[in-house]
Amino acid sequence: MIQLSYLDYSAVEGKSFLHGLSPKVKLVGMGLVLLAIVTVRSLPGLLLLYVILLGLFLISRISGRIFPLTLYPLIFAMLFIFVSGFQIGFILRIFLKVLCGSTGVVLLLATTPYPSIFRILGKVLPSFFVTALFLTYRSVFILLDVVEETQHALHLRGGLQWRHPWRSLVNISNAFGHLIIKGIDASEKMYESMVLRGFKDRIHYRGE
Amino acid sequence: MSHIHFPDGVLPIWLWGSGFIVAILVGLILFRFAKREEWIRHLPLLGMMSAAMILGASVEIVPIAYHINLTVISGILLGPSLIFLATFVVNVILALFGHGGITVIGLNTLTLSIEGVLGYFLFRILWRLTRRLMPAIFLATFLALLCSTLSMIGVVSLGASHYEELIHHEDEKGIFEFKLLKDKVGHPVEGATREKVNLKRFMAIVLPLGLIGWILEGMITSLIGRYIHRMRPDLLRLERGTQ
Repeated sequence: MIQLSYLDYSAVEGKSFLHGLSPKVKLVGMGLVLLAIVTVRSLPGLLLLYVILLGLFLISRISGRIFPLTLYPLIFAMLFIFVSGFQIGFILRIFLKVLCGSTGVVLLLATTPYPSIFRILGKVLPSFFVTALFLTYRSVFILLDVVEETQHALHLRGGLQWRHPWRSLVNISNAFGHLIIKGIDASEKMYESMVLRGFKDRIHYRGE
Repeated sequence: MSHIHFPDGVLPIWLWGSGFIVAILVGLILFRFAKREEWIRHLPLLGMMSAAMILGASVEIVPIAYHINLTVISGILLGPSLIFLATFVVNVILALFGHGGITVIGLNTLTLSIEGVLGYFLFRILWRLTRRLMPAIFLATFLALLCSTLSMIGVVSLGASHYEELIHHEDEKGIFEFKLLKDKVGHPVEGATREKVNLKRFMAIVLPLGLIGWILEGMITSLIGRYIHRMRPDLLRLERGTQ
């Protein structure tokens, strides 16, 4: 989840050709990638799509630290191998679909600041839902700060030790509990400050 | 584990399309009957709990391909209607990070919200019956996860004929597929190919790994519940009683 900060930094500070493209165009492009993932069945077709996405990843000069995010969904795709009875063609097709999807979305998020994405989504989705999306995304960063603080406290209380599983479980649960309570406190303050700034039911973006 | 981490293009269009339609319909019904001001008041809380669920999902227990969901504790804190919206939001954001396909957002919302809603009601019932916080949360989490995993397996099995098509694609020609509906029953090749898709093997892998995950998440959720009860008991909205 720490890569999230890089993702956000890359979207705002990046200066490549893809960063300069209009968010609308990039969202339409992502839609086309999705359409291709859903409809293309041939291995060479999927491989070509993946190579194109990798090429775009390279020319966008996105930090290599973000790349593992695109591989993460493969962990879960492994389970799908067992459905197929280890058919190599099927497994390759699934893995390529996974990689194309994850590379596409990571590419979108690493080259487009999230307020721009949410602003466009706000035109087609209910404002209530888009506000919830925006607040969640914002809250992830608030909680990441809390996680950083909590890590020190967790370490001082013994942290995670395989030799003491129960203590480790209590420590990790307390850390999550602390995270939730801190998060709820922050959400109450956030609501009060939003109301003071005139929040009614939707967030207005710059330029609206 | 209890929701589908499938990529786009694996499930048939009719299946993920129906998932989207049902999820949107449920969302609209909830929105229609909910108190709008109450929902708006809770938006920041919903955002925080969704963010906590997203962070929980990033803690991966790699050997068993399991991550903590925190859906049940979020359900207990948010209530049944807000947890549905929270799971929708969580799935959209997770899909934007490549964690699960975009097309399966609807189905994932339905399976995850089963977990949150069921967890909420089971906890309330068990709390009334036992008045013991940790066992009530543990059992509620365990049963809710069991149900949502079973529903996930149900969804996976609905797409069996589609996987067969993908497996046997080598025998066919063409680059694209445009199938909105399932093949007609009684297709001559269907009987011969069905053996290749092994859902029993899938269940034999998912259920034992899931069992470890449910117990682990049950324990973590009950310990989180205990921590919240000590620090902010008002959040659990419990009636008076012993722990």
